[in-house]
Amino acid sequence: MEKDKAFMAEVLNRTAASRQPTWNTRGLVAEMQMNELNSATEQVGNWFLNPNWDNSMDQSDPFESALSSMVSSPAASNVPVSGENVMMRELIGKLGNICNSGDASCYSTPLNSPPRLNLSMVNLPNQSTLAPFSADPGFAERAARLSCFSTGGNFGGLNDPLMDSSKLSGNQSVNGTQSNQNSPMAGNSGSDKKNTGVSRSSSPENAESGVSKEESSVSQQIPSGNDAGTRKRKSIPRGKAKEIPSPAAADDKVASENGESNSKRSKRDGAPAGNGNAKAANDGDEKQSKENSKPPEPPKDYIHVRARRGQATDSHSLAERVRREKISERMKFLQDLVPGCNKVIGKAVMLDEIINYVQSLQRQVEFLSMKLATVNPRMDVNMEALLSKDMFQSRGLLPQGIYSMDSSAQAFPFGYQPQQGLPLNNVIPNITESQFSMKTQGFQLPSINGFTDANPQVGSVWEDDLQSIVQMGFSQNQPQSYQGSIATGQVKIEL
Amino acid sequence: MCPHSSLKQEFLKKWIMGLQRCSFSKKNMSILERKKTIKLSADIAMASARNGTTRWSRALISNASKDGSDNRLVQQILGPESNTPVAAITNKARTRRALVCKKIVKRSRRQIRRRRRKCVAAAPVKAVTSSIAKHLVRKRTQVLKTLIPGGEFMDEICLIEETLDYITSLRVQVDVMRSVASASVRASEP
Repeated sequence: MEKDKAFMAEVLNRTAASRQPTWNTRGLVAEMQMNELNSATEQVGNWFLNPNWDNSMDQSDPFESALSSMVSSPAASNVPVSGENVMMRELIGKLGNICNSGDASCYSTPLNSPPRLNLSMVNLPNQSTLAPFSADPGFAERAARLSCFSTGGNFGGLNDPLMDSSKLSGNQSVNGTQSNQNSPMAGNSGSDKKNTGVSRSSSPENAESGVSKEESSVSQQIPSGNDAGTRKRKSIPRGKAKEIPSPAAADDKVASENGESNSKRSKRDGAPAGNGNAKAANDGDEKQSKENSKPPEPPKDYIHVRARRGQATDSHSLAERVRREKISERMKFLQDLVPGCNKVIGKAVMLDEIINYVQSLQRQVEFLSMKLATVNPRMDVNMEALLSKDMFQSRGLLPQGIYSMDSSAQAFPFGYQPQQGLPLNNVIPNITESQFSMKTQGFQLPSINGFTDANPQVGSVWEDDLQSIVQMGFSQNQPQSYQGSIATGQVKIEL
Repeated sequence: MCPHSSLKQEFLKKWIMGLQRCSFSKKNMSILERKKTIKLSADIAMASARNGTTRWSRALISNASKDGSDNRLVQQILGPESNTPVAAITNKARTRRALVCKKIVKRSRRQIRRRRRKCVAAAPVKAVTSSIAKHLVRKRTQVLKTLIPGGEFMDEICLIEETLDYITSLRVQVDVMRSVASASVRASEP
């Protein structure tokens, strides 16, 4: 009994919470069937007082109310209804004539239908679909009800395997036939009826799960049926009208589905690496120990990729591999560029470092621009100011003789060491600035010549830069914002 | 690893040109405006130094020219060399369209793949960890895409290339700006 309590509580939770594992309930139901259900039902009934449920619950039977609440609690969701239905069928079948009259239309939440069992009337599975039932006591009623549940709640297509109904919504004829079939079943024993009913409901559901064993015990059928039910229901919104074939055909269907997806995949990736795949296939040799990605040949326009030994050769994975290698190649460059990436191995951490670095650089730019804005209230680039002595100190690496502007140019270059490539880079910007100012002063050529003559060693390096700068200066007819003229005497050489 | 001096020169030249042009348009800008102009001119100078060869530079210029307020600035800065930005922008638009289409296709593919993956049985531990790693990597590439201008439309390979280029340009920018800033700080000192 305690087990039963636990099971039913679990069932309640599941129905209230999620849509999915109705097969759990079926399992529980199966368990329950083993035990004495009389007492269990009473206990069950206590738990199933569903406060949300506002139907006319004027049944004296707690079990009935419990069952109906269980059925109606997932009323909003169509999904687990079939599970409940079949489970209900089991329970009710087992219980026999426990439930008596007075059970009104408790099974359908939205429908407060009169307490008459209309087997022909089946609710379409828009709602959770529970047909109104008469209050006929007895077995047949239960069975019929449950079958109506299943058909209504489910696809509406719970037929015999013989009847192929591809329409899942509202086959009245189907339901009619089923109800017809129900009545002859009335006389059967409970277990038989249950089995056949279950088999009938589960066999189409088994189509999806591919379980072909219908002769197995009920417990097995129930979960599989439920699985198929849920899965089938999921497939419905996809817009596929699935047939309800025999279990044998179901496997084919599943297989075809997989095949379709495979073909889709291969088709999709066929384009980028189709040729590569062809090449690999032509090689037909997986035992290449090297991968050669040759550059595209002029007549053909694709990249040859060879499959490595022991690796898959389908186009999809080949393309993947090429892409991955390209990415890792470039990540190596990034590793050299970004400081601190050398020790790290792994894409995620490296990407992290790169992100941090880029962010820090961007922030530095912001900060520097703000600094410049504060320093320079007029927002003109004051070249002569920049060229003043402080500029030299900022350079730091360089003997500061570069900025001589006149005949004192000779003094400049001697101290300069040509092997300072790095300060050369730093100097060049300053040189450009100096060129600007020099231009305004009209000092260009002699000074430049002075520069180059004075320092023949770096002259070769500098000449190009200086020439370019001079040309730049000459070609530009920009308005000069320089204030006044720079007296050459102002610019001193500081060593 | 040290950036080429030519790049620095070009950047500086363009930047100063841009600044001068901007300074003539408005006098007495507020500090934030100034900062904005400085930064913008620096960015544009950096981007134009690439001459439309890289995607991020094109994206940067096109983004800047989209806003009305900055458009004027951009035109001023890039005025005489107007052919470059125009071509770059149209190029960018074309590539953007192509990339957006690519993005849509990729997204649908991803959804299909995800749907298929749901049907697969629970993978062993190794696959789980690899999926976690993939998830991390994907997240970070998303972040990187937001950082790089125009990065949302690039695929991974292009993204990494653009990151490389962008990092070098940023470095140049930072170096030059720092030297100019320090120089002007020192110049302003009495």
